[in-house]
Amino acid sequence: MMEKIARKADGDSADNGQTGPMDTLRQTVRRAFTSPQFILLCVVIILLIIGGVINPRFLAVNNMKIVTRDIAILAIAAIGVGFPILTGGIDLSVGSIVGLGGVMVAYFMMNLGLPVWLSIILTLVLGALIGLVHGLFVTKLKMHGFLITLVTLGLARGFILVLTNAFPITGLPREFAVIGQGYVGNLIPIPLVICAVIAALSFYLLRYTYIGRQVYATGSNREAARLSGVKVDARIILCYIISVMCASTVGMIQAARLSIGHPAAGEGYELLAIAACILGGVSLMGGEGGIIGILIGAALIGTVQNEMVMLNINPYWHKIVISLVLLVAITLDYARRRRE
Amino acid sequence: MEQAPLLKMEKISKRFPGVQALEQVDFEIYPGEIVGLLGENGAGKSTLLKILSGVYMKDEGDIWFRGEQVDIRNPNMAQEHGIVTIYQELALIPHLSVSENIFLNREPRRLPILGLVDFRKMRRQAEAILADLGVYLPVNRLVKDLTVASQQMVEIAKAISRNTNLLLMDEPTSALSSKEVEALFMLMRRLAEKGVSVVFVSHRLEEVLRVADRMIIMRDGHRAGTLSAAEATEGKIIQLMVGREVGLFPKEEVAIGAPVLEVRDLSGENGVRNVSFTVHRGEIVGLAGLIGAGRTEVVRLICGADRRRSGVILIDGQEVKILSPADAVLHGIGWVPEDRKQHGLILNMDVKQNTTLPILSRISNRLGKVSLKNEKKITQGYVEALSIATPNLSQTVNYLSGGNQQKVVLAKWLSTKPKILIMDEPTRGIDVGAKAEFHALMSQLAGQGIGILMISSEMPEIMGMSDRVIVMCQGRITGEFKRGHLSQIEIMTSATKFLDMNAAPMPGSNVGVGPI
Repeated sequence: MMEKIARKADGDSADNGQTGPMDTLRQTVRRAFTSPQFILLCVVIILLIIGGVINPRFLAVNNMKIVTRDIAILAIAAIGVGFPILTGGIDLSVGSIVGLGGVMVAYFMMNLGLPVWLSIILTLVLGALIGLVHGLFVTKLKMHGFLITLVTLGLARGFILVLTNAFPITGLPREFAVIGQGYVGNLIPIPLVICAVIAALSFYLLRYTYIGRQVYATGSNREAARLSGVKVDARIILCYIISVMCASTVGMIQAARLSIGHPAAGEGYELLAIAACILGGVSLMGGEGGIIGILIGAALIGTVQNEMVMLNINPYWHKIVISLVLLVAITLDYARRRRE
Repeated sequence: MEQAPLLKMEKISKRFPGVQALEQVDFEIYPGEIVGLLGENGAGKSTLLKILSGVYMKDEGDIWFRGEQVDIRNPNMAQEHGIVTIYQELALIPHLSVSENIFLNREPRRLPILGLVDFRKMRRQAEAILADLGVYLPVNRLVKDLTVASQQMVEIAKAISRNTNLLLMDEPTSALSSKEVEALFMLMRRLAEKGVSVVFVSHRLEEVLRVADRMIIMRDGHRAGTLSAAEATEGKIIQLMVGREVGLFPKEEVAIGAPVLEVRDLSGENGVRNVSFTVHRGEIVGLAGLIGAGRTEVVRLICGADRRRSGVILIDGQEVKILSPADAVLHGIGWVPEDRKQHGLILNMDVKQNTTLPILSRISNRLGKVSLKNEKKITQGYVEALSIATPNLSQTVNYLSGGNQQKVVLAKWLSTKPKILIMDEPTRGIDVGAKAEFHALMSQLAGQGIGILMISSEMPEIMGMSDRVIVMCQGRITGEFKRGHLSQIEIMTSATKFLDMNAAPMPGSNVGVGPI
């Protein structure tokens, strides 16, 4: 029966094969406009308009600065966690790493008196090392990423508490706080700029480089990729490193934003980051999804969150609403996949 | 036998796309009879069994069961007639006990309103069933802790406890040691005495000769012959199995060059034992043997997919270190695997992405950017050279036909400019026309000086394409034949020469050690 289907598909697409370059362009455009990501983007825009109608202050420049900063911070974490998901794994440690990143950078600066730039670099190096450990467990011990990152979720948070005695580290220097609070040209939040740089690099890596191609191949069929000479272990390790480094970056931005290294920062953030990926069309089976989708997914969650604040919805309801949004998205996605 | 057959099949035909799996096949079995079903891979044995068990529907033909015409449209209908199949992969629940498995879904109840299971009664009944079969197993033991042989016994007990008339077994002995095979045969005879009929498929001729009352031999979807236990000999069976003209294979004579791949004393955890051979430039070496003989495992060792225990690999006379498939690619070994969907292709990627997968870093610039222009050019070249029927280079390979998928796998390896091409069952599951085309390609590639190692379970392919044939059995080389001196019967004899029936079986077959 498979053969029959295959042949039918051959025949069908053979007709399309006759078309010229103009039509392929049109096809590309059509595909873009009917893609789930585009629909999601429309949802985001509709939400923005509704928010503006209900509360005009929502679309005001000042609020937009807040919204885009929130979205940018979430997007960085989501892009990071998207990498291990693309390989068919996951990283549950995001929330705790966000906390760890913020506390560590504060600890380096305030308790060890290190310069800002060195503190940032050390925090990133620490993140890379944690990611490396995750990757080694996943590849060399063939452990599922779920398990080892779950361990880190607990370990990192525990370590934060031991290190800080559960007290925030306060009074971070101004030149550091700029990372979270500052604006370029008094308009564009610096976190948004950082996010744009990370997104652009990730997009280039995944879309254009052989390493990105190999990441997708690994996520789609790890064994076939390995037998084709792809160094799948190295690619998987890289993805786990990127994830933790992005989460550490988020931790630093959040610490900068509040000028505090807070031991509770980032709690539950993994849910939001993973949700943004799934909303954006990243398959939990691996090998499917991309940066554009993740950005839109993060935008949707950020918009919904901010709208709930603007509409004075009881904060206790926020988690429920976000989870329901995720439920709707997953259900639609499953329905679509099944049709295919 | 004068009595009426339990089951009779007349003029059964079954067609799959591109293959006539069965053509006008008759089959009959009498009550209490043990029938051995024999034939090469692809002769139609499994298809016949699957029609009987309701997995496939016959295209044509009639089935009579106890004199009444029946229609077996699904496995449930087969079960209603008491036709039960024991598959190669056992269908037991590993974390339940023996008795729980035997009574799965029809456990004796206690206080039916509460839905409680009467475990004591279930154990007693399970013990009774097993004792009746002459099998002694602790009924409280979890199935996962039993040997494969014992698991098989449990499965048979489960079947028998459901009033089975006809038991179908597809290669039941393939994973058993000789002692366990003996126990299974005793059980089969016991069932026959009770009036249960048994059909079983096996590649081990001397086993079939020992236990079967009658042998039915299949060849190319036809019934090639029937032999009673009295008249059957190994020689007669093999003659019937392979007695066919070898089809047309476009093998060109190619000048054979220097050794390109030398394997010396290769052994591995995967069951390969002390394998040594050489492949020369321009030569096609056929690696023959039965399924499970360890041929694929040899390839996995050569390509660094499994760990070697001993052995040296030389390419162009130089010893090379191959620790991973990536090393194998670097040293010019290409491997078209047996299962193209699992191991050969990234199904959701397109033709060009699959083709360039092993050479991505070679066609990328210093920033790691893949040259899409180059990728297109290379792929276009192979699509034309191999005449891959695809609407465009961006076609997802999942939607290509089997033959074209196989060509994409070949294109992928050719893009690495290999010195050695290993092809594992290169034409399995692709239709006849594509097969001949693929064989022609192989011949051409050999003509370009590539050394080809071809694993095949299809005798005509081995006979038609090989310059030299190496035969394996139980992880070792048991024979070597040159073109011109190839005899199907000798190859079959080497392939079934079970040198040492008591030797540890292949680890891959998952046989544990423990009491039956």
